Amino acid sequence: MKKWFAAGLLVMAAGYTIYGLSTLTLVSGSGRPAAGFFPLLIGGLMVISCAVNLWNDWREEAMQAAPAHRRQANATTKAQDDVPGMDAQHIGTGREYGRDVLIVFLYICAFVAFLKPLGALLAMAVFMLAYLFTFNRAHPISNIIYSLALPAFLYGLFKVLLNASLPIGPLGF
Amino acid sequence: MLADIAANLSLGLSVAASPEAFLFLVIGAFLGMIVGLFPGFGPAAGIAVLIPMTFGLQPTVAIIMLAGIYYGSMYGGTITSILINTPGESATVASTIDGYPLAQKGRAGPALVMQAVASFFGGTIGVILITALAPSLANFAASFGPSEYFLIIAVGLLMLTTMMGDNKFKGFISALIGFAVGTVGVDVMSGQQRFTFGSPELIGGVYFVAVAIGLFGIGELLHCIFNGQHRQPAKRLRVSFRDKEFWPSRKDYHESRWTFWRGSAIGFIAGVLPGSGATLGSIIGYSVEKKIAKDPENFGKGEMRGLVAPEAANNAASAGAMVPLLSLGIPGSGATAVLLGAFLMWGLQPGPMLIVNDPEFVWGLIASMYLGNMILIAMSIFAIPLFVKFLDIPYVNVVPVIVLLCIIGAFAINASIVETWILVGSGLVGFAMKRYGYSPAATVLALVLGAMAEETFLQTYIISQGSMNLFWQRPVSLVLSLTLLAIILVPIAIALRGARQKPA
Repeated sequence: MKKWFAAGLLVMAAGYTIYGLSTLTLVSGSGRPAAGFFPLLIGGLMVISCAVNLWNDWREEAMQAAPAHRRQANATTKAQDDVPGMDAQHIGTGREYGRDVLIVFLYICAFVAFLKPLGALLAMAVFMLAYLFTFNRAHPISNIIYSLALPAFLYGLFKVLLNASLPIGPLGF
Repeated sequence: MLADIAANLSLGLSVAASPEAFLFLVIGAFLGMIVGLFPGFGPAAGIAVLIPMTFGLQPTVAIIMLAGIYYGSMYGGTITSILINTPGESATVASTIDGYPLAQKGRAGPALVMQAVASFFGGTIGVILITALAPSLANFAASFGPSEYFLIIAVGLLMLTTMMGDNKFKGFISALIGFAVGTVGVDVMSGQQRFTFGSPELIGGVYFVAVAIGLFGIGELLHCIFNGQHRQPAKRLRVSFRDKEFWPSRKDYHESRWTFWRGSAIGFIAGVLPGSGATLGSIIGYSVEKKIAKDPENFGKGEMRGLVAPEAANNAASAGAMVPLLSLGIPGSGATAVLLGAFLMWGLQPGPMLIVNDPEFVWGLIASMYLGNMILIAMSIFAIPLFVKFLDIPYVNVVPVIVLLCIIGAFAINASIVETWILVGSGLVGFAMKRYGYSPAATVLALVLGAMAEETFLQTYIISQGSMNLFWQRPVSLVLSLTLLAIILVPIAIALRGARQKPA
């Protein structure tokens, strides 16, 4: 997947540069840099660096697929998140849960999609029920109480205390 | 000069000690401790997610609360480092090396108290140095032109990516992504629309807060789920400060007396340097302490100095990072970039003129940091059993709190569903960036500084009539240009030297 993400970035960088070249002015009539100057500088750098990055990731994956003795000789360091300059680090159980990420992400998308039609309070409660009954099935009663209490608290906080504008559903909240 | 500082501080105290500001300072410090407790959820994510909760507040009070979350997380992150060998955030990784062995030896209580004292010491030294240096640096920076500003941004971003070890190239790409996203909207110099695809929602540009909440909040959450944190049972721990063995011995304080000072000095310098920050400060603080110790073999086996050094350093660094933010308007890390975003959201423009135009705000914030550190040391010692209780909450129940806060918070800012979808998209990108070694922090930093970088670059280009000679003709620019070159060339030279030595 790493190389496909790198490939996606290259496609985006190329699209950004091509779209910029076709819609923006590079230099004004008086010879000064215009609106397209900086974006195209960034776009050019992005295309070059994303292409090199894709090549590196492709090579790295090919090496990992190679026999163990060759892999050891050409070992490259795995991406680490706990390097300085980052804000969080890789802490885990050793196993990977890609399927769970997909499920939670789809639930988040559904939550945003239904935010306006259902209203904020109802959408929050439905999201929580769906999420908790997927990942925490062992505690149905506490799931229901939690799914009602947390949305009610947040709705009260944002709508009543902070006077924020939240979508109102068919039930009037 | 001392009289000026005293007058400014008393002005600041009158702001920070007002009942409203003090209440939200306590809330911010408390939330910061909790943000620090949850592994994988750093101060940048905490600030980004909680920005919408400050809507109803006065700007100064809101920033005092957000800053409390920022430095409060440095205190909270170490509790899990010591008790469960899991750093709450990257700046407390070095504290795990000796913190956890101390707990294994049955000295969890003294370790928790000493980390609180070291954090207080580092944080307070850091704030004293801010008080002394920020106005002088702001005065000095008042003479800076566009070339200096552009070079400071470039040095900061390059340093941030250089710190990423083997992933520095991906860090560079991450920064370019931030710059690219920053170009969306109307060009301020020509008025031409860029990358808006005809959408009126994008004319004002991609809203920074939605991207920051997505990258840090949802991105980190998905990354934690990917690593299986939601499948882990809650940690049942008990700590009581009534135990006799809870308090450190006189020997602990005596052996660490110089470590407090060294860690604070190293941390502050690391914090002031753009791009390095608390993580690097704590690692250098630990390494220096081990190097100069007469008994380095004890480090890693539960040595108190090995805990005190990184703790004093990371708190001093978090204070140090406020110096370039307040005096130059340039953040050095993801967390301070989010803080800058909050400044801008509240109509405050950090930079040399902020201290002149809005002294109540600047000195109120600085004074609140003194008070904040006092609140945090009291909380860190006397509320340890309470914070340990938070670790009883299984992560599976924390996930919906973060999701709801992110989505509802992002929507509430401008009541825009487009921005909410931008947040969701940024969340997915943030997850992929973390998974594959890119830097969401560099992206956010570049996004926040993108407009300034473009403006100063073009101004330099126009003033120098295309020759760019301003980058080496002015003394400060020349020093910054040489630093920039060194950051680029030194790693290349080291790599080439290493490659040459390998065959031999």
